[in-house]
Amino acid sequence: MKRTLLLLVCLAPLLVHAQGEELENPGTVSAVQDRTYRMASELWIGIGFAPLDAFYKGITGQIGYVYHFNDSFAWQVGRGLLSYNIPTGLRNQLETQFGVNPTAFPQLNWMVGSDVVWTPIYGKTSWLNSSVGHFEVYGSLGGSVVNERLGADVASGVGTTVFRPAIRVGIGARIFSSKTISWRIDFTNDFVIYQGIEQNIFDVQFALALNFGGTE
Amino acid sequence: MSRARTQSATAAAVTLLLALPALAQAPASQPAPPPRAAPAAASAPGTPGAPGAAAAPPAAAQNPPPAPPSRPPAGAVPPAAAPASGATAPAQPQAADGAPPPKLDANAFDAALKDYFDNKPERAARELYAFIEATPPTDENYAWAQYFLARSLIDLNLRHAGAVYLAKVAHERSNPQVLPKTLEALKVLTLVPHDEVLIDEQIFGSLDLGFLPDSVSDYANYQQGLVDLRVGNERWAKTHFVKLEEESVEASRAKFALLVTRLKNAKAVDDQMIDDFLELSKDEKLTLEARNEARLAVARLRYERKDYEGALKAYSMVQLPSLDPGRATLYLEEAWTRYNLGQLRATIGLLTTLDAPSFRDEFLPDKYILRALVYRDLCQYLPAKRAAKELNRRFSDSLEAIRDRDDLTQDFRLRRAAASHGSTKRAGRFLESLNVENELLGRFAGGFGERLYKHLTKIYDLERAEGERIYRQRLKEAVREEADKLLRADEQVRLMEYEVGLKLYERVKRGAKLAQTEKETPLTSVNLNFKFDGEYWNDELRSYRVSIPSRCIEEGAQ
Repeated sequence: MKRTLLLLVCLAPLLVHAQGEELENPGTVSAVQDRTYRMASELWIGIGFAPLDAFYKGITGQIGYVYHFNDSFAWQVGRGLLSYNIPTGLRNQLETQFGVNPTAFPQLNWMVGSDVVWTPIYGKTSWLNSSVGHFEVYGSLGGSVVNERLGADVASGVGTTVFRPAIRVGIGARIFSSKTISWRIDFTNDFVIYQGIEQNIFDVQFALALNFGGTE
Repeated sequence: MSRARTQSATAAAVTLLLALPALAQAPASQPAPPPRAAPAAASAPGTPGAPGAAAAPPAAAQNPPPAPPSRPPAGAVPPAAAPASGATAPAQPQAADGAPPPKLDANAFDAALKDYFDNKPERAARELYAFIEATPPTDENYAWAQYFLARSLIDLNLRHAGAVYLAKVAHERSNPQVLPKTLEALKVLTLVPHDEVLIDEQIFGSLDLGFLPDSVSDYANYQQGLVDLRVGNERWAKTHFVKLEEESVEASRAKFALLVTRLKNAKAVDDQMIDDFLELSKDEKLTLEARNEARLAVARLRYERKDYEGALKAYSMVQLPSLDPGRATLYLEEAWTRYNLGQLRATIGLLTTLDAPSFRDEFLPDKYILRALVYRDLCQYLPAKRAAKELNRRFSDSLEAIRDRDDLTQDFRLRRAAASHGSTKRAGRFLESLNVENELLGRFAGGFGERLYKHLTKIYDLERAEGERIYRQRLKEAVREEADKLLRADEQVRLMEYEVGLKLYERVKRGAKLAQTEKETPLTSVNLNFKFDGEYWNDELRSYRVSIPSRCIEEGAQ
């Protein structure tokens, strides 16, 4: 009982202070604004770089279409990626000096897929204290079908390709330039699955997105 | 009949009397111009009075800028030879020290123009001034020299000095070909702080409109109409305004001026006046500022007629450039409108806007009263009392100065408030520009030479003295208005404090419960909610919403 009383006595000043503050400055203030940029049907085209594989570096070109259900959720209906691969010095060295079989180096040819996109962050930022820019940050989760070309077949000229399923996760940001035009930067990783996780295809991409039918 | 005849006879007599001085000044009765001292100059084509003048007009008169006006065809005798004669018979203003102007080279005018077109305005100004000093006003290049001297000075940002010379050309009207360009240059100068008496009243307000080119006739008609409106003669103003091109910018501005004048004089506001302002607010020929003024006028008129919804609609029509904070009065007026509509939280939101740094220096005593009123209506008595007291705290020095009958122009807040709008603001800006130009003049002391520098210094000293006098006169009147405003607000604050004091210690009856709070508008999916933490963003200034509970007790409580 004494402890309870002591506790109450200790807490009392805090409660009085909180109530006093509320009495003197009642209410909370918010800036409520209409969202300036809203997406609807989005067509995007981008160029990227797949830097992760030690034996080749891919320059990727990608195109996609996204349907936005609302400001938070969207479905990336389809996307297609084509990769132009540049062998690294390490691979050349392994092949020429150590006689490693080229089949040991599967490489990405192209990839198609579809994802769901969740956009929890929409914000604005000040540019040099003279203009306001709007941006959003989103994450994506989806599946891909990866077409890989085997190094051995390239060497012999036969050209065998294999298809592999993959799970894609990604994170990206969009900077709005106008109601129609926005710029995206995406970081994605495709976990290629073949008897377990066979490899990761990591891609960094810059894209121009065109928005059609967005509301004001 | 006889009466009519008498009138005719009187009229004829008056006409004759009036005509006499005119006849005395008529060219026919004038003596022949004095012979030039230099025979060579007298024979030069283009020299006034010389036989060749009419037959071979100088290039200056025929080819106004950008071509140098007196550049003659090769082989021809240059009209600028005339100054040579003028150099020997100067009849021009003497320099400040009274010393006679130096003699000029025969090609002085051409050389000065060359410098002007070679983008050497400082040198050109010195040479043109020397030419003007050494040449009689009857010289055909005299007006051109004044014009180009003005242009050189304007190019050097000595706008007032330029305006003085342009005004001389406009007053003297010695060369009809220089006049249109002069008036156009003067019209451009009206866009920046300028001597309103010199340019607006003495030039555009009193021009003979018959001969004016289209480019400036509308502007002159508009200015003359304005002068008439200012003296309260709407009928005369209209005779000028009807001459304006229907599609011209001046026609729209004239409509606006007419409406504002009618509004000032109107005892009651009718629908027609509101509709006229509304129509004007859609006139794309007006500047955005003028259109916004028209919208504000619509809003104010509707407010006066207690059409608060309509007023709110008009306020929302006010367009601000991107990230422009807008005007404090706009927010305060909208806040009063919303208060009258019972939108207490939105009112507090707008008052939050008025606390932004952009409006920190605004003189808005009403703001504190309105805030206190809103808190009182929400039964938040302590904040209401505090808001009311804030006015006294903030303006205590000014209130003390008013009560002590001090010189109110010395009070910082009242002076700033008085100088922030209207004619006082214009006078202040002009005075400021004169001071800047006067400082700038010092930099050209070497380039201008002693004579021009002394002359311009004198012009600026005189104008600064006059500008200062006008500014002080206007400030004195404006500061009284602001003091009245503050006193009225102070009185209301006292009432408010008394009322709130009573409420604060009112006994709450047994069983009383809190009244139903006004429902807040819920956020929709298109809304974004940025919690305010004291950082103001210009794009948010019109978007603040306040969530605040009402502490009022229901009437029905026992």
